[in-house]
Amino acid sequence: MKEKRVSARDILQEWDIKDFRVIDKQAISEITLGASILATGGGGDPEIGLLWTYKVLDEGKEILMVDPMEIPDEIQTASTACLGAALVLTEKPPSGGVLNLAIRRLEQYLGRPIQATIPIECGGVNSPVAYAAAGELGVPVIDVDGMNRAFPELQMTSWVTHGVHSSPTVSVDNRKNITVIDTGDDDVLAETLARRVAMAYGGISWIATYPLTGRQVKEASILNSQSIAWAAGHAVMCARQEHLDPIAELLKSLKKERDVEGFRVFRGKIVDIRREFGSETNKGFTLGQVIMEGIDEYKGQTASLDFQNEWLNLRVDGEVLCLPPDLIAILDSETGEPIRTDIMKYGYRGTIVLIPAHERMRTPKGIEMFGPRHFGYDLDYVPVETLNG
Amino acid sequence: MTGELRVGFDVGGTFTDGVLMRGKDVVVKAKSLTTQDVTAGIVQALDALLNKSRVNPAEVAMVSLGTTHTTNALIERRNLNKVGIFRLGAPATTAIPPLTGWPEDLKQAISGTELVHVIRGGSEYDGRDIVPLDKQAIAEACRNMKGKVDSVAITGVFSPIISDHEEQAAEIVREVLGDDIHITLSHRIATISLLERENSAILNASVITVMQRAVNSLKTAVSERGITAPLFIVQNDGSVMSVDYAVDYPIFTVASGPAASVRGSVYLSGIEDGVVVDIGGTSTDVAYIVKGFPRESSITVTIGGVKTNIRCPDLLSIALGGGTIVKHQGEKVSALGPESVGYNLVRLGKSFGGPLLTVHDTAVALGKLDRKLEVFKTDFVTHPEKVNALPRKLIDNAWAAVKATIEEAIDKMKTTVEPVPAIFIGGGAMVVPKEGIAGVSKVLCPDHFEVGGAVGTTIAEIGAYAEGVVDLEKEDRDNAIARVTEQAKNNAKTAGAIRETVEVIDVEEIPFTYMPGKREKVRIRVKGKILR
Repeated sequence: MKEKRVSARDILQEWDIKDFRVIDKQAISEITLGASILATGGGGDPEIGLLWTYKVLDEGKEILMVDPMEIPDEIQTASTACLGAALVLTEKPPSGGVLNLAIRRLEQYLGRPIQATIPIECGGVNSPVAYAAAGELGVPVIDVDGMNRAFPELQMTSWVTHGVHSSPTVSVDNRKNITVIDTGDDDVLAETLARRVAMAYGGISWIATYPLTGRQVKEASILNSQSIAWAAGHAVMCARQEHLDPIAELLKSLKKERDVEGFRVFRGKIVDIRREFGSETNKGFTLGQVIMEGIDEYKGQTASLDFQNEWLNLRVDGEVLCLPPDLIAILDSETGEPIRTDIMKYGYRGTIVLIPAHERMRTPKGIEMFGPRHFGYDLDYVPVETLNG
Repeated sequence: MTGELRVGFDVGGTFTDGVLMRGKDVVVKAKSLTTQDVTAGIVQALDALLNKSRVNPAEVAMVSLGTTHTTNALIERRNLNKVGIFRLGAPATTAIPPLTGWPEDLKQAISGTELVHVIRGGSEYDGRDIVPLDKQAIAEACRNMKGKVDSVAITGVFSPIISDHEEQAAEIVREVLGDDIHITLSHRIATISLLERENSAILNASVITVMQRAVNSLKTAVSERGITAPLFIVQNDGSVMSVDYAVDYPIFTVASGPAASVRGSVYLSGIEDGVVVDIGGTSTDVAYIVKGFPRESSITVTIGGVKTNIRCPDLLSIALGGGTIVKHQGEKVSALGPESVGYNLVRLGKSFGGPLLTVHDTAVALGKLDRKLEVFKTDFVTHPEKVNALPRKLIDNAWAAVKATIEEAIDKMKTTVEPVPAIFIGGGAMVVPKEGIAGVSKVLCPDHFEVGGAVGTTIAEIGAYAEGVVDLEKEDRDNAIARVTEQAKNNAKTAGAIRETVEVIDVEEIPFTYMPGKREKVRIRVKGKILR
């Protein structure tokens, strides 16, 4: 692409969009906190994405977010993300140019420029990374994502269940190695290949993926997913400052933004973490089970949660209270900080909160692709509000 | 420990506190001004203890030290080493260079752009090189650093798993810069999480000299007085480590003073839930205690404005103490500190005929120092006429500013809107407001409050940890954990614990998520008794 780059503001002017939100440091820190709460125990360490975005802002670059319904149908967007092992990312942050490199090569492959970024999921890393990339590229971020939570695999998005695909995906590493994955409409194969590539790179890859048109963004995304995360993060941060109950504030925020009821179902401490590698090992995920012992009014009760990078289901005294794709968050009762599967520790205390998945994640196709049976449970999906109603 | 004699010191920026304990009882206590060389202050306090108690120094079974030297140096940006910074990780990691997110003044105090180097090297998670280590670049950088740095911090990607590149880099640094340059290797400081570990290593390197001075002072002081007991220093979790270890790892003592104070406060007051406000001459530390222990910071710990992954109680340190300078324009207070006159209070404070108005002087002016404490040898005021000449309005404003500052700090640490009890300890507790403090149900100043930190140092256990990466396809999980546990117990013994009293307090397994295989990191924390 020899085309001369313009700024996000120029692009919005060209689209005749006057309504947009300017993302500053406070905004990105709230969005990232909210996203890591919605990340359902996964999503990786937010620190790297956050510092990266701060750095982009410090360099004087502007980050602007627009509503999806405002964008023209024919524009080209894409998602940027980190795919691989969260722990490896924590230890090996990227080199400066990775997102740029991946996007440029994707543009080359597509033969047209990327004019906006779309976050892939709500996660501590992949949410802010979309903003950092937008700032670096001089394009806007669109207020959507593909999950409104985090999921372990590339194909587990509302995009795929609404008929659009991750291919072509460009995967790069810090040494500027480039792999183009184009599996057409086979999104499961794309995930398999992308994960193998990440392993060969040393555990982490940086991808430009899901090249969606403006029209596809509107039809297949979780709309205003970023605003939902932002409001959640804002509510929790305000609660901390005012010494209010952060969990009550979080639930109020979700009610306001999405008109859904969340459920506070358990409070306890982690007494056993059983990480099972077993037969699932070759899939490249950490599987396991966590046991929590109830405290306060939950004394005497026992909660168990299964996880595949993210929390999958919750049972309290043997009774199922939540199934995928509904969201489970274990939050520090005092700060609302999420306890993630990769950093949880013996003795951690937390409150378990359940949140209904977004309706675009609950279609029959969605339940088939990332419902209980996909994860190996011999159970039909029952919505969390029915289980806890 | 019952019956055995233990001496504890708490060296603050202004005062050095000492106690002599027998079993659970405070036998005698002493306070001296912290001196520039630190030693003289400790010797003075020690002499006072020995003279008053008339015990035989040879009978002392343990000497322990709590210190706020590292913290004070970091928050005041004073006496810090110039640090040469190496990160071994390029071409990876460059999106976020070293010192990203650091406060500008701290950056300038310890480093400069010519001292920061991101070098090609580091390892992958499985131990492969990212790229071969660029040794030439390190040597070249060192030659340019010559004469400009006091210490060097080296952080390699995945060094907690494979430390080869850090070790190799250290060898080159020694070759070029000589053996006198202190080198901090990140893998000895903290665990996985590059940015936080790097920050921890850099901070560690910046306070090496500060800690060396404190430890040497203690050694000199006790040996001069015929004490042969082992010497310990309180670390961040409230347990102690041997001083020889502390010299290389001062960052583990960054919460030493407050950790000792929290232990002392709980012990002296019997209050197990509330806020501990430890007010010294230079700084005040606020901790929130739950069931007798300081709340631990969850994921990252901020030290001097920098995010680290050091295990630490959740503390708020503010630059407010008895010696804090009240800056004012006429009757209006423009700022409290951050500078403190520290041990120069008796030269520079208004109460002593000096030119500067301090927090201490406002308390004197308001007649708050009515309680004479035997540990203070000097009077609180030698030049009352200087204090009396101060405008009353200014004094009231200063007092209100101190109160507001303390209230704000307490409010930041509280996690509930309900009022909680507050324990005020430390010598500075005498010169700050204690009535009508917002958010607090009552303020307690227990007996021996003025030496609470020193008491806390004498009741600590020794802590240690070990970690290792295990491949569970090759080794049984229980065996792997037992192996690392053994190593942790040996580390505790090396640090001074009695082997058979060492118990496991935490087992941590960190899997390599999203990766195939059964590799994980096992980390075991232990603690054990020093004395039978």
